[in-house]
Amino acid sequence: MTAYTAYAKKVFLGRSAYRFDHLMSILSTVLQFFIFYEIYRALYGGEDKVDGITMSMVTTNFVLSLGLGTIFSPDDYFLPNKIWDGSISTELLRPISFKGRMIAENVGNSAFNIIFKFIPVLIIAVLTTGVQAPADAPHFLLFLISAVLGYGVLWTISFAVQMTAFWLVNIWSLITIKNVFVNVLSGSMIPLWFMPEWMQGVLDLTPFASIYFTPVQIYLGQLSYGGIAVKCAIQIVWTVLIYLIGDLLWRKGQRKLVVQGG
Amino acid sequence: MGFIEVKNVSKTFRVSRRRSGIPGMLANLVAPKYEKREAVKDISFSIGQGEMVGFIGPNGAGKSTTIKMLSGILFPDSGEITCSGVIPYKQRKSYVGRIGVVFGQKSQLQWDLPVIDSFELLKAIYRIPDDVYKKNLVRFTEMLDMSGFIDQPVRQLSLGQRMRSDIAAALLHSPEIVFFDEPTIGVDVVGKEAIRTFIRELNAKDNVTMIFTTHDMQDIEKTCKRVIIIDKGSKVYDGSLSDIRERYSSSRSLEVEFMTDTETVPVAGVETEVIDARHKRFIFGKDVHINDLMSLLLQNYSVRDINISEPDIESIIRKIYGGEGAA
Repeated sequence: MTAYTAYAKKVFLGRSAYRFDHLMSILSTVLQFFIFYEIYRALYGGEDKVDGITMSMVTTNFVLSLGLGTIFSPDDYFLPNKIWDGSISTELLRPISFKGRMIAENVGNSAFNIIFKFIPVLIIAVLTTGVQAPADAPHFLLFLISAVLGYGVLWTISFAVQMTAFWLVNIWSLITIKNVFVNVLSGSMIPLWFMPEWMQGVLDLTPFASIYFTPVQIYLGQLSYGGIAVKCAIQIVWTVLIYLIGDLLWRKGQRKLVVQGG
Repeated sequence: MGFIEVKNVSKTFRVSRRRSGIPGMLANLVAPKYEKREAVKDISFSIGQGEMVGFIGPNGAGKSTTIKMLSGILFPDSGEITCSGVIPYKQRKSYVGRIGVVFGQKSQLQWDLPVIDSFELLKAIYRIPDDVYKKNLVRFTEMLDMSGFIDQPVRQLSLGQRMRSDIAAALLHSPEIVFFDEPTIGVDVVGKEAIRTFIRELNAKDNVTMIFTTHDMQDIEKTCKRVIIIDKGSKVYDGSLSDIRERYSSSRSLEVEFMTDTETVPVAGVETEVIDARHKRFIFGKDVHINDLMSLLLQNYSVRDINISEPDIESIIRKIYGGEGAA
């Protein structure tokens, strides 16, 4: 067993220790889903389609983007907490890559979330509001690939923001701002179909739209294969670009490191 | 060229100066004040392989900062460090696999897991071969007497038990260099002794190079031959423990109990302090020979008991910290 799988396993097992918290987090995702669902049902007012967008497309968007959101959930406070309480020093004493360890713990966490959070929420949604089936098998496969790439974008954004903790120590506000951007501009709160056309064009180029909305569009079969290639390329470019920024901050930050508490 | 070579190393932190109270807070928001604090100023030393060095100094002297630079966590602002041919902060990942660090104030163990599970995790992280792991585990469990609590969660251990587990954890991968940062802090007398014995034995048998910071002078007296004293970021002493005594102790004392109430005649160069009618303390400098003084006393008076007290290291260190260290 390598060190990284050991860390992933540790997180996976550790998560099951707090059962009440876990049940409540399922409940909160379900509640969030139903609130969005009810708001849009009221807005639709019994209509089948608004601007050519059906209610079932909207529902599917929420299930998928909230679902992917619960799976991804990178730990935004992984580094900030360690800098804040000084335990960063013990972390740096391990002969492994700190970034690798961040990813490993996140993967362990995601594996837990898929099985114990995403699947229960998906079942509840399918039984109550219904969810559209994927367009076809190839599109479903491409959806999975694009979802992993979306995870890459979300993770690197979190990674880069966390690295500012080397200078700022307390970065709660930055993380909150980041999360507002992610939630609003990624289409997980307001599906991007309802945005004005010029804004959709702008958002398509930002990293945010490529986190959830690209996989959702692929799932629903709204993109041609050429379109899918372009959007996935955008995802890859953003992941690489933001990672490089984060990595630069990581290397500069280590020189700046102040270990708090002696 | 030593095994550990530190050349003209400095490290400065920028600390914000907070003014107190709400007006102070508002003032800080508008115009924060920063000042530079030189944690380490131009320190140089060299340590040979297998040496055991005590690293002492008052709180805030820069000990921990130096240890953190030596272990690759912090980057020095200027100067050079090489440890066993490697620059710690530049080749961190390959270097830290060869060292062990014990922070007395920060546990490296997993809080919720049994001690043995933390060890297993370390085995994976350091890629410790099975046979080495087993051998070290058996050896440390016995030497540190850990068999009674090795499968208990860390949060349920006493401080002494936790510290022993932490020490074992830092040594499982057979490091070449071990840094102990206050390993006996908060541990009782018996526990301290066990830790010191363990450290001595490890140094003697495995030829592990060790650097040891502590505030407990007993730790240093019982483990290290050489000490480096730093104060306010600068090195003020580097040498053997016995030399410190030679150099800084201005006085020794002889406590005498007489058979009967006795008046003594003053002796040249010796200060006499009366404790009570039968007890006297004679304090004298280096120029007086203890033999002469004792025979003088034994010839002229009937003596019941004599007690020689060496100047205790703690009071000497206190003097050095106090600024008399410029010798």
